Amino acid sequence: MTIKIWKHFPREDLYECYQCARCTGSCPAMEVAPAFGPRETILKCLNLGHDQVVEDEKLWLCCTCNVCEDRCPQKIPICDLLVALRNSAARRGNIPYRLSVAIELLAKTGRSMIVHQLDEMRSHHGLDPLPPAPVDEIREILKKTGLNEVVEF
Amino acid sequence: MREHIEGSPRHSDSHDLRIGVYVCHCGKNIGGTVRCQEVAEYARDLPGVILAKDSLYTCSEPGQEQIKADIREHKLNRVVVASCTPRLHEPTFRAACEAGGLNPYLLEMANIREHCSWVHLHDKDAATEKAKDLVEMAVGRAARLKPQFELTVPVTRKAMVIGGGVAGIQAALDMADAGYKVYLVERTGSIGGRMAQIDKTFPTMDCSICILAPKMSEVGRHPNIELLTLSEVKAVQGHIGNFQVEVLKKARYVKKECTACGDCIQACPQLIPDEFNAGLSIRRAIHIPFAQAVPSVYLVDMNHCLNNQGIVACDRCFQACSHKCIDFADRDEILRVDVGTIVVATGVDVYDPTALTELGYGKFPNVITTLEFERLINAGGPSGGELIRPSDRKRPRRVAFLQCIGSRSKRSNPYCSNVCCMNTVKDALLIKEHWPETEIYVFYIDIRAFGKGFEDLFQRARREGVTFIRGIPGEIIEDIDTGDLTLLGENTLLGNHYRYHMDMVVLSVGIKPHKDAPVLQRLLNLSTDTDGFYMEAHPKLRPVDTTSGGVFLAGAAEGPKDIKDSVTQASAASSRANILMSKGEVKIPAITSRIDPEKCTACGLCAKVCPYHAIEGGKEMGYYRVIEAACQGCGACVPECRFEAIDQTHFTEGQIVSQIDSALARDADQKILAFACNWCSYAGADFAGVSRMQYPPNVRIIRTMCSARVSPRWIERAFLKGAGAVLVSGCHPADCHYNNANQNTARRVEKFWRRLEKLGINRDRLRLAWVSAAEGAQFARVVHEMAEGLKSLTPAQIQESIEKLTKSLSKKADAS
Repeated sequence: MTIKIWKHFPREDLYECYQCARCTGSCPAMEVAPAFGPRETILKCLNLGHDQVVEDEKLWLCCTCNVCEDRCPQKIPICDLLVALRNSAARRGNIPYRLSVAIELLAKTGRSMIVHQLDEMRSHHGLDPLPPAPVDEIREILKKTGLNEVVEF
Repeated sequence: MREHIEGSPRHSDSHDLRIGVYVCHCGKNIGGTVRCQEVAEYARDLPGVILAKDSLYTCSEPGQEQIKADIREHKLNRVVVASCTPRLHEPTFRAACEAGGLNPYLLEMANIREHCSWVHLHDKDAATEKAKDLVEMAVGRAARLKPQFELTVPVTRKAMVIGGGVAGIQAALDMADAGYKVYLVERTGSIGGRMAQIDKTFPTMDCSICILAPKMSEVGRHPNIELLTLSEVKAVQGHIGNFQVEVLKKARYVKKECTACGDCIQACPQLIPDEFNAGLSIRRAIHIPFAQAVPSVYLVDMNHCLNNQGIVACDRCFQACSHKCIDFADRDEILRVDVGTIVVATGVDVYDPTALTELGYGKFPNVITTLEFERLINAGGPSGGELIRPSDRKRPRRVAFLQCIGSRSKRSNPYCSNVCCMNTVKDALLIKEHWPETEIYVFYIDIRAFGKGFEDLFQRARREGVTFIRGIPGEIIEDIDTGDLTLLGENTLLGNHYRYHMDMVVLSVGIKPHKDAPVLQRLLNLSTDTDGFYMEAHPKLRPVDTTSGGVFLAGAAEGPKDIKDSVTQASAASSRANILMSKGEVKIPAITSRIDPEKCTACGLCAKVCPYHAIEGGKEMGYYRVIEAACQGCGACVPECRFEAIDQTHFTEGQIVSQIDSALARDADQKILAFACNWCSYAGADFAGVSRMQYPPNVRIIRTMCSARVSPRWIERAFLKGAGAVLVSGCHPADCHYNNANQNTARRVEKFWRRLEKLGINRDRLRLAWVSAAEGAQFARVVHEMAEGLKSLTPAQIQESIEKLTKSLSKKADAS
């Protein structure tokens, strides 16, 4: 498989990074998962290459809040990079198990998560039961995004 | 009688021409890409050329001696040197020609380094072919060169220094000591500048004001220095050696008999933040900038005085003054002074970090900038030298310094501000010196301790216990109750996250060009680099000169600098100015325009476009004429003349047309003919070469002094010769070196576009591009884009446009 990530993300932008670590300092994910940070990801891209970066499960900790990008003195589109890296990782099968389960569920039931007491809760608040999800339509959309190439459903 | 030279086949064709061509290898710089021997062999067969040689370094002593010897031995009457840019070595080779007994204006250079070998590093064949073309163009022009004699004009033996910081002070003192009258113009109420605000200097830890104050008072009492404070330069006329400067001297409202006793201060009811103390203290409307101010005279800040409506509503200070020095009738005045040289030392502003909201400057009281810190720790500052934090005026136990705030960033200033690292190291040591138990953390990306004694100081700070942490905090959080600050970030060397609690944070802010730098830039026709600092004439060899003759740069106005470098540069600038003034005269290049009174119909169009009012005459006289001493040689008037009565010396129509013809002699449809102005675009193309930016080899550049010299007749000629595309490039609209002469360029090109459209010719084949001397990348990009455009152009289209143009010309001829 060819590496498509640099098609979606200008690699030259990474050379602008001088590792000031403002991104990691502003990252909310670092609060819950120490030793994760965009700075490290950028450095690994530059020094170790794309192949090793996409092996790293920590990529999936990013919640694309964009704060790092906002504070980056060099205006590197860090979120775009992380999204592109995750796309690439997923296509190589490096996708966290929980996430692939959620995708499968979404494709099959139209919902990413099954909450058993949902109807009970809704009726408690005076709401009608949830209508069935348009599963076929959702599947079509998911196929259009190419997700079926990553996770079988 | 002519002597016969063997081996010059075309000699008989061109009787009087004896051209010598020298192709320089420049070591591997040219020789590594261009086959210089082949170029020299090619040149040998060009008309008028009697000898052509290639040499390793033509600019070296043996290289120059060779030229001199050949001029004598072979009776050369023109010399062509194919080497680097004429902006670098034209003076060298002109001197060699002169020493050999040839008029220096009979030299022509072909730029085969910056415009050829360096930009086509990987295509030896194309580079060699291009070099041949460039040499042929140069030989063609050389054949039409004429000897010229330079006009000598006197230099006024007076100087003006703009800006009274340490650089301005040093420059003024140096020139005054050499015996020349100096006008030192300072905008604020006192000289001293940024250095007066700083507590100590690095790396020696001298007390800043203690070493500056003696120099300031020397300026104040120097018989040769006329100090103009509260003054601004409003207009500058004239040229090298003869400037007429208009200075606005604002009213001080206090007579110079003031003894600075200070009785008036207590009387004044108006309170304003003190800008000298970075707003950390208050002052009155009547005040003296600081204790050591020169002149030691109070002043009234009329923006805040109660009498600012023009009526005397409050006279408390007047009543308090026992010497009756206060004069509310004082008015602004305009001074006009004649000077021969100008030194620009306008200094810098400090970056305002309010925009970086995550750091909380302006929101959290205990986040301050370095300049505020300098005032806080200064014995003459608002706290009397006691280190206190703003929120509760208690002494901070834990202090953090954040580096590179507003520097090295696309969000603020892209450059390194040069002084912040050492300033922080010095500040950290100052705290350690007075309160050794204070914990100090410096958050940095790189510590740049590059100067003499800098590394020592850095090591000393580490030994004294200052902690250096690599990684700038991403966020600062304030505890609202205590005012303490929490810094969140990553220690990149340990690879872990940190959370530090600090009492005070000092942002090590960068420096930026003075906010009014563009005003002076326009007044003096200076150029600026992409960061907004004034640009030197040559970054290595003419570092204090500017492209405007007689104007020199000193201090941080040219680029971020510490005190030592500012003083060094100030002395250099003043000694460059002293050379002009001690000689007392200067030669003006013989590139002025001339009007043929026989052809002139006295229509006066030329006088209208002249940016220097250097053309006089009228209907009564029957013709117009050029005042040679005032003409700066832009050539804007030449294309304006409908009767071909004007021509520019050394850049004649004949010379340039021969360049156009040679450039387009072969494969015209594949070529881009570029006209570039000497100061910006040609220099920009040079810069592309110096930076080794690669672009397609089918561009041929012709140099003019100003883009306004580019005649629509040349563009027409190029298209008639079948040129694929034509590029006209000059300085950015407000940056023209000839008082906006390039607005004529824009007008003429637009007119030509309309003509092309009318004829149904693709107007994209003519391009107008503004390229400054710092925009090598822009030049390369324009060439790339034009070369792309050429690919879709067919020979049939070119033929068609030639026919259309010819037809329109013959129609015109019939009509007249």
